[in-house]
Parts: sequence; structure tokens; C-alpha cells
Amino acid sequence: MSERGVVHVVDDDASFRTAVRRMLMAAGFEVHTFASGTELLAQASADGCGCVLADLRLPELNGLELQQELGRAGVALPFVFLTGYGDVPTAVSAMRQGAVDFLDKCAPQETLIAAIERALKRDASEREARARQERLSRRFAALTAREWEVLRHVVNGRMNKQISADLGIHERTVKLHRTAITTKVGVRSVAELTTLAREAGVLG
Amino acid sequence: MNLVTVLWAMEAGAAFTLCASYGLVWFADRRNLANLMFCVLAVAVAGVACAEVGMMHAATVAEYAAWIRWVHLSLFVALIAQLLFVRIYLGTGRLWLLSTIIAARLAVLVGNLHFYPSLSWQEIHSLGHVSLLGSQVSVVGEGVLRSWQWLAPVSRLLMVVFVADAVLQLWRTPRPEARRKALVVAGGIGIPLLSAVVLGQVKLLEGVQLPPVQTPLFAATLVVMAFELSRGLFLNQRARRELEELRSEVARAGRVTALGQLASSLAHELSQPLGAILRNAEAAELHLNRPSPDLEELRAIVADIRKDDRRAGDVIDQMRALIKRRTLEMQPLPLAEVVHDVISMVHADALARHVALDCVMPPGLPPVKGDRVHLSQVLLNLIINGMDAIQSSRANTKRVVIEAQPQTHGQVEVAVTDSGPGVPPEFIGKVFDPFFTTKSGGMGMGLPISRTIIEAHGGRLWAERGRGPGLTFRFTLQQAGGGAS
Repeated sequence: MSERGVVHVVDDDASFRTAVRRMLMAAGFEVHTFASGTELLAQASADGCGCVLADLRLPELNGLELQQELGRAGVALPFVFLTGYGDVPTAVSAMRQGAVDFLDKCAPQETLIAAIERALKRDASEREARARQERLSRRFAALTAREWEVLRHVVNGRMNKQISADLGIHERTVKLHRTAITTKVGVRSVAELTTLAREAGVLG
Repeated sequence: MNLVTVLWAMEAGAAFTLCASYGLVWFADRRNLANLMFCVLAVAVAGVACAEVGMMHAATVAEYAAWIRWVHLSLFVALIAQLLFVRIYLGTGRLWLLSTIIAARLAVLVGNLHFYPSLSWQEIHSLGHVSLLGSQVSVVGEGVLRSWQWLAPVSRLLMVVFVADAVLQLWRTPRPEARRKALVVAGGIGIPLLSAVVLGQVKLLEGVQLPPVQTPLFAATLVVMAFELSRGLFLNQRARRELEELRSEVARAGRVTALGQLASSLAHELSQPLGAILRNAEAAELHLNRPSPDLEELRAIVADIRKDDRRAGDVIDQMRALIKRRTLEMQPLPLAEVVHDVISMVHADALARHVALDCVMPPGLPPVKGDRVHLSQVLLNLIINGMDAIQSSRANTKRVVIEAQPQTHGQVEVAVTDSGPGVPPEFIGKVFDPFFTTKSGGMGMGLPISRTIIEAHGGRLWAERGRGPGLTFRFTLQQAGGGAS
């Protein structure tokens, strides 16, 4: 059976943990279980993938705090929260923090699995976006400080003459910098360079 | 043995029995002096009856005169006890009149003991015989009356006046209960007293030879008053039972309130096993859909479903036990288990409030004598109180500690300590007052109810300042099987 994705289950109730693991594994997911948020925090790494299925009420760190802590540690896993007794304010703040779903502990299997899949899809697309961004910023990483300055002006649509006046350098030097930039980033036109720079978010 | 002896002896026996039983009643509630007076009256009446039997069987004047002294001694005690009984039981009657009568009766007693043969008789020449209930009994045949003899009947008449006055005073209060009491005392004490005066004077002044009459008259008094007092006892007992019922009803209301506070915690507690059952069932279904299901796994799943079902059932049983109307059922209880059950009930609530619940139970803690539900209620109350107290504190460590320690004298002490801000010293004494609360949503009944429950267990519940800033509630319980009951 092919893996449908990784689910990190956090619940202090051993019996519930086992049951969820059984069901999700039978449904084809890879499942890791944790008795507390601290346990997950200790083992999570930034390049981990999947989603977190957590009870809102947990000893030590509760579900929302776990979500914050993971975010702070740079582990941006999407969350599906479970609760035995859903109350609106908690649900609202959970959603505001970016929870994908907020489910009753006894929600039907289809609902739970659909929520997990949504979370996994979001994780995959976020991961994809992050990877792409990383690749892009790596391409920009080779630029020198002077080239960055020139790039900023180019992206803002300024002519070589204006750039040379602004930076107090020769117009030919500007041209040389531009050629170096396009070569290093690997683009052919200024339009393409502008788009990529925006996408990579390198210019703030 | 003739019928007179039998009847008089029976009355003496009955009087002794009444004395013993009302003596015990008085001993149980020593504020109720009417019971004590009745007890004294009964023993004195027994004395009168015995002495009268002696008089009736006297063969010589000297023997007769010796028994007269015993009659008078017992009579003094009986009459004074009767008067004090009226005064205490009705709460009316003039004190100056009462003191006058006591002084007069004391004079009569001294006279009777000082003069021979008695205060009434200057001389008794011979004994006569009259027929009473088919047998011949001795009475004074011929004798000379002393001029002082009027002192005894006059003091008796004053007693009649005192009783009549007390009865009338009470009759004027328009309560039906008071009027009933007045009537009973008038009939049970007033009329026999009056009859004794009349018959005594007929005997002495008209020279009619009458057998002794004190005993039958006192018999009437004893019967009427014993009936009256036992009615009071019965009503008292009913009132006590009603109070008991009311108390258990209030305790139940307290439990229902506590359950309301715990609703979310209990829902969480239930959703764990229910959720686990659902997931296990779903997992089983997925396994069964496979071409070759893993039977080992399925067996494990079914076993877990069973276990979680029992767990959910336990939570519901606990709730039901708390809601049910019930009286105390004392039995030996493993304290650690009771505490553990309560902690599991508040567990989710504590998680939500970020409160750590610590339980320190020394191994080998002896079982305690108590009612599981009521003790759970007390623990529940103290723990929730502790968590509420912490809520308002800014301390980093939010903690409620439940400790138990065996004590000397067959007791176990349980302490519930919170890390909250505590209570100002002037309030410590007040926390058990009904309706005293520092919580906005509090009713102020939790602690008074808890204290009532612990006291019904023969223990004490009190508050003191903890080692830290918070408050400690301590209560004692009796060990089961050992120590004082």
C-alpha cells in the first residue's frame, strides 16, 4: 500500500493514540505518535513533512501552544485539532493560527481523513512553494553587494544612465554588472529577472 | 402475695424502667433538663410505692411509723421534681411561688423527720385495717392529729396553684402546641395533685380510714408525662430525620453544581474512550476489507474496544452516582483509589487551566471508613476550589497537591493545598460560612457542605495557610476497622 503521507498524532490518552494510529495506518498513512507536545517538539525538524493531528487539551503545552512553539522552531506543519468539547473561542483562535481543521474527537472517519488530506495537501504545496523559493534565492545568493544595488535599480525600471548617476559609477560599469547579474541568476531578459526577483522575495 | 403488693411493686418497677430510659435520653442531650426531672420523679415514685407497701403491711404502730418517714422522704423528692419539671417543661410558673413551695416542703420534710411519728400525727394509738383490692391493709386506726398538720396540705394546695398558674400562662399563648402541652400538664400533674390534697384531708379531718393513695395518683402522672415526653422524642427524631434528608438533598445539589462546573471536563473524559472506540472500529473495518485480514490485529482491536467501553461506562457511573439522591453508606474505602478517580474527573479541566494535579499517597495507607460518593464530592470540591483560587494568581507554577498521611488514634489526614494567592487571615475563619464566597460565580455552599459531610464521617475539616502562599484544606477520616468508631 502506498503511503498517503505522514501524520503526527499528539494525544495524552494512550488508548486513543493507539486507536488513531491503527485506523490511519490501515487507511494507508504513515503515523508517528507522541504523548505530549514537548515530545513532538523534541523530535521535530525543519525538514519534516506531513501534518499534526493534536488534541487541544494536552498536559504541559496545550494544542495551540504546541502550534506556536513549532512555528517558532521553524517547523511549519499544518494542524488538525481534535477536541472532546468544542468551544467557539478556542476554535476561532486555532483557525486564526492557521489550523486546517477543528474536529470533534468522535467525528466520522471520512471527515477526519478528508481533513488530514487537506492538511497534507497544504503541507505539500507549502513545501513546494518553499522549495521553489529556496532554489530561487540560491540563484540570487551569488550576487555581490554592488550587483544587489544595481539589481534593485534595474527591477525598479531605471535606465543605465540614471543608475550610473545614482551610484556615481560609469555607465559601462553598470552594463557589466547587469550582464553579471543575468548570467549568475540565469535569465535572458530584464522582464524575467524582475519576475523572478519578486517571486523569490529577495528585494523585500 | 396479694394483688396490692403486686400492683405497687409493678409500679415501682415501671418507675425504675422509666427512670433508666429517660436518664439515658437526658444523658444523650444534657440540655434537656425536663428529661432529668422526669427521671428523678420516677425514681422517687418508686421509693414512695415501696414505702407504701411497707406501711400497708405494717403489723405494729412502730413499724408503720418507720415506713411513714420513708414515704415522706421519697414524697419530698417526687413533689419537688414534679414542680421543677412543670417549670422547665412549660417554661412558665412563678419563681417566687416555686421557691416558697420548696421552702414549705422542706419544712414539712424536716418536721416529718423530726417529730415522731410524723408532722401530722401527734400520736398513733393503734392500727386499723381496711379492704383494698380484696386484701386487708394497715391504716392508722386511732390517733391524735398535730395542730401543725395543716402545713402539709397548704403547701400541696400551693403546688396546685403553682401548676394551675403555669398552665394558664401557657394557655394564653395562642399556639396550639402550647395549649396542648398546658392541657397535658394540667391533667397529668394538676389533677392528681389536687386529688391527693382532697383525699388526704378527707382521711385526716373526717377520720375516714383510707389506704395510701400517693402511688396510684403518681402512676397517672408517670403514664401521662412519659407518653408526652416520648411524643416529643418521636417528633424530635422525625425532625432529625427531616434535617438529615434536607442535608443530603443540599449535598446532592452541591454535587450537581460541581458536575455542572465539570461538564466540559467530563465531556472530554467521555470523548476519549468514545473516540478510541470509533477509531478502533474504523480500523477494524479497514482491516476486514482486505483480502486477508490480520486476525491478531483484529483481536487486539476488539479487546481495546471492550476496555474503552468499560472506561466510558465508569465515567457515566461516576456521574450517575454523584447525581443520585442518597444517604451515607459507610464502608472501608481505599483512599488512594477514591482520590485517583476524582483526579481523573477533573483531569481535563486541570489541563485546560494549566494546573498540575499532584497526588502524594504513601504506600500502605490504611483504608478509611466512609461513603465513596460523599468523599469524592468533598475532594472534588476542594480541588476545584484550589484550581479556582490559582486561576486568579499570576504565579508560574500552578499546582494543587493532594496528600494523605496516617495519623495516631486510628485517623488519616488528607490535605489539599493550592499554589494560589491564599486568603487574607481575617477571612480564614469565614470560608466555611454559608454563602461566603470570593468567586464571582460561586454560591458559597461548597465548603459548608463539605464540612457537614466530613463531620458526618466523624472527622474534621479546616483551613490553614499552606507552606507556600496558598491555602491548605485538611480533613480527618477514621481508619476502617481500627481505632475509635
